[in-house]
Parts: sequence; structure tokens; C-alpha cells
Amino acid sequence: MAFERRHTRLIEEIAASNWLEDGMTMAIGEPAPMAMVRHIVRRGLRNLTVIGTGLALDLLIASGCVRKVISYYAGGGLGVPVAPAFRRAAEAGEIETWECEEGILTSGLEAAGKGLPYLPWRGGVGTSLPDINPDLKLISDPINGETLIAVPAIKPDLTLLHAAESDAYGNVRHCDGPGWIDLFLHRASARTIVQVEKIISNEDIRSNPWTTTIGGADAVVRMPYGAHPFYSRGYYVQDVPFVQDYFSAAMVNGAELLHFLTYYCREPETHGDYLERIGIKRLLALNEY
Amino acid sequence: MTIECSPQELMAVFLARDFVDGEHLQVGVGLPVPEAAVRLAHMMHGPNMELVFLGARMNVAHLEYLPLPAFGWDRRVVRWAESFSDRGHRFDQVKDWSRRVFFIGGIQVDPYGNTNLIGVGDDYRQLKFRGPGSVGTPTLTTHVGRYHIVLNSHTARTFVPRCDFISTIGWNDGGADARKKLGLPGGGPKYCITPLCVMDFSEDEKRMRLRSLHPGVTLQDVQSNTGFELLIPDEVPVTELPTKEELTVLRTRVDCHGLLRSGLNRPSAEVIRE
Repeated sequence: MAFERRHTRLIEEIAASNWLEDGMTMAIGEPAPMAMVRHIVRRGLRNLTVIGTGLALDLLIASGCVRKVISYYAGGGLGVPVAPAFRRAAEAGEIETWECEEGILTSGLEAAGKGLPYLPWRGGVGTSLPDINPDLKLISDPINGETLIAVPAIKPDLTLLHAAESDAYGNVRHCDGPGWIDLFLHRASARTIVQVEKIISNEDIRSNPWTTTIGGADAVVRMPYGAHPFYSRGYYVQDVPFVQDYFSAAMVNGAELLHFLTYYCREPETHGDYLERIGIKRLLALNEY
Repeated sequence: MTIECSPQELMAVFLARDFVDGEHLQVGVGLPVPEAAVRLAHMMHGPNMELVFLGARMNVAHLEYLPLPAFGWDRRVVRWAESFSDRGHRFDQVKDWSRRVFFIGGIQVDPYGNTNLIGVGDDYRQLKFRGPGSVGTPTLTTHVGRYHIVLNSHTARTFVPRCDFISTIGWNDGGADARKKLGLPGGGPKYCITPLCVMDFSEDEKRMRLRSLHPGVTLQDVQSNTGFELLIPDEVPVTELPTKEELTVLRTRVDCHGLLRSGLNRPSAEVIRE
């Protein structure tokens, strides 16, 4: 009698890239899984609904991949109050925005994870959010008659995350705490791909199951330095000048932005090709201490 | 002895004095003045305060330096965490946020402390200026014990009679029971602080009122840069100046690169790379 072995969930980069399709509702974790985000741009996907923030969201909008944005924050931190491509596309009516905030977004994601049509939330009562997002319904709760917001389930087709480590079976370990929204996105999503710095043994995972942050991601891709220009806790810090360069180029919206998208996102076929363009010296300088 | 400091340093010291030992102080992204203020208070008089930076909860009163993070929220910030509130549970204990203090900015602020991070324009589908979005401010301001509105500039474009859109409710249409009527458990906005002055909200009407003018600023400066009528008390004092000790701690142990001192002119890439 032949016993079948447990299937690996470790897949190659191009196979992972082929999971990405036009028109999907795609959720992007924090720090953004930039290697997978660059594959979206490289493949020139269209009509995406993107749950995301900051540079990753802005890059996808600048590349023409996005039709609808579900975002609680589309800024770039100090000095970049509003992400430039997001601002232009929103003001020009080229993208639709599903206006929300953190508590509303996580309520919708939790409703999806729990298989409920909606979950109630208080944050946002009294604000303009239910006026400008007609999917948010003001309800009178049946217990105390309080006014609350019913947030409909938000169901990503695919969630893309970056984490420190995983074994071959999708047991994922974030270092120093997961990005705040990663677990919400994973639980709500039909499927999840996690790109990781390092593949570790199943024995390592079993030695301390408390540290497993996601048990059973659908696919795992090995992408060292895969969050660049963002940080990956336990591995490297943010490449601040690179992020600034993107936002400066995006603000001007000219040849420099086009060059940035072409040189860093469209031309490199693989993550390795991208890292060659960044250069080993620059990457090694991003050490944590 | 005269004390010279930038308006941002004055704002940070004023805020720091508002925090009581044992409180939980939560700061989001892009608000350097509150970031400096909570660190300063923690060092000066708050050894039992808890600082919450994007879900990393920490007490770091034992550290010699608490430099402002001019970088992403990577390990240099979270290495001091005692717990991560974010493991998929960010808002699962809002019932306990009565001792938590929070800070917000805004594109627009109205006389009752309602604020707008969504955008400017009559028609939501055709905004003249698209803002960054509400972040977590609606939920945070619904539940925290109190919050402060902290702005980097004071103009009539920001202080408007009515916000085009409201992302956080302050005192709604006014009145001490305004928040209770909406079922919002948190204590609402206490101060609105700008580079020109400190404002608070009147006890009954909850309308914005001038509390103090920063040194060198006139009543006329404030009124001509505010797009609605502020309540003006009979006597308007000058905002309390930092002590020498406060300023020394702020400059040498918190704002080590002089971001506040320079009036928020961004430090160079080399400096923030550190």
C-alpha cells in the first residue's frame, strides 16, 4: 500500500505570479509584499479592486492596474500627506473609492471570515462615511436600540502578504508581530499567498506553535528582501530615500515616474532581476542595528 | 531669563503637561508634535504611562533617549514593545480606552471640533482636493477618553464654518450632550493646538474658544486666520512657556535631530537614515 506524502505549499515565483488575475479583489498586507506587487505591475493587470495603503497602492494606481480602492489611509507619512497618484486618479474620477476607516474595514473583513453578511461597528457613527459609502448602513441595534453601522462582509479573492518565515506547509511566522492588518485579510480572503524571507523546517514550527501567526497559507513563495523598499522585521529596515524618490517622481508625474515603473517594476522578470538593479551594497546597508 | 523655542516645541511641551501618569498615549503616523510630546511626558513625569505606536505597547521610561522615529515602523520602534495589540485584535478592547489619549490632524476643522480627512469639494464624486482618508480616527475618537486636534498650520482654509465632509465627530452641532446623543462613549476633543494658539471648547455650548496665544501672536493674527467666529474670553493669556529643563530634555533626548526646533522642515535623508 502506497501512502501519499503531504503536499508542499511552497511554489515558485512565476507560478505565484500566475495566481494574479485581472478584475480580482486583491488585498495587500503590511509591510507590503512588494515583490508580488511588482508582479502585478509587470503583468499589466487591469480593473483590480485593491485593499491597500501607501506606496504599494499608489504604485498600482500609477501603473493603471486599479479600478476601485478600499483604503483607510492613502498617504505616504510625514511630508507626503496624500499619495500622489491616488490623489490625481481620485480627483479625476478615474478610480472609485470605497470610503472607510480601520475599524470599519476590519469589521467587514471579520464578517467575511465569520461567514456573516455584516458586523456592526460604532466608529463612524455621526460622520459622513455612511453618506459617501452607501454600502455602510445605519441600523438600530435590536438589543439596546443604539445607532450603529452595519458593515457588509469584505471578501478578497486573493490576499498577498509579506512575513519573516514559513515552513513548506504554509505555517507562517511574522517577526515581532504581524503587520496590523495581515491576519484580518488572511481570514477574510478566499486564498492567501505569503512571500517570506526564509523557509524553515516543519520541526522548527512545531517547536513553538505559539509563534505561528498564520496556520495554513494557501501558498508560500521565498522572496528574500521581498518587501524592499519597505522593512522586514528581523531582516532589514526601510529604504527611506528609495521611498522618497518614488513619491517625488509620483508627485511630478512625468518621465521620472515612467522610468521608475519601467526600470523597477516592468523590466525585471523576476525578483532576482529586481534585486540586481537595486544592488547588493544598497541592500546590505539596510541592516537593523 | 528668556526661553526661545519654535512654535512646535511650545506645542509639544504644552501637550506633554496635559498627560497624567498612568495614561495610555496612542500616536499614529505623520504627527511629529504629539510623538515628541508623549515621549517628553513619559520622561518628565510619566513613568507609568504606556505608549502605543501602531499596536506596539511599550513603557520605555528607563531609556536615556527616545528619539523620534523619522523612519518606517520597523524593528527600531517595535523592539521595545511589551505586547502587540495588533495580532488581529486591534479594536477588541475599546471598552477600556477611557484612559487612552489620542491625536488627530485634519484638512478642515469646524467650530465644534468636527474634522475632515476625506477631501474638499461640494461633490464627493468630484473632489477639488482628495485627502488621505480617515485612517483609524473615527474609531479611535469614538472611544478614547479624550483627544487633541493638532495642526501644523493655522489658516482660514483649515478652520471652516462647516466641514465639507466629516471623518471624526467632535461635538457635532454643539452642546455638552452632543456625543451622548450619538452614543459615542469617548470624551471628545479637549484642545485644538496650532502654531498660533491653543483653543478649547466652552463648557455648555462646546464651541471652540481661544485659550491662549503663543508668544508674539496677536488676537488679530488668530482671528484673521480662522474662518469662523471663535469665542474670545475677557482675558487671553500667553501660552505657558517651556521650562529650561523641559526644553533640554526635549532637544537632547527626544527631538535629537531638531525636527520640531526647525519648524518641521524635514531633516535630510542622511539624518533620517540613521
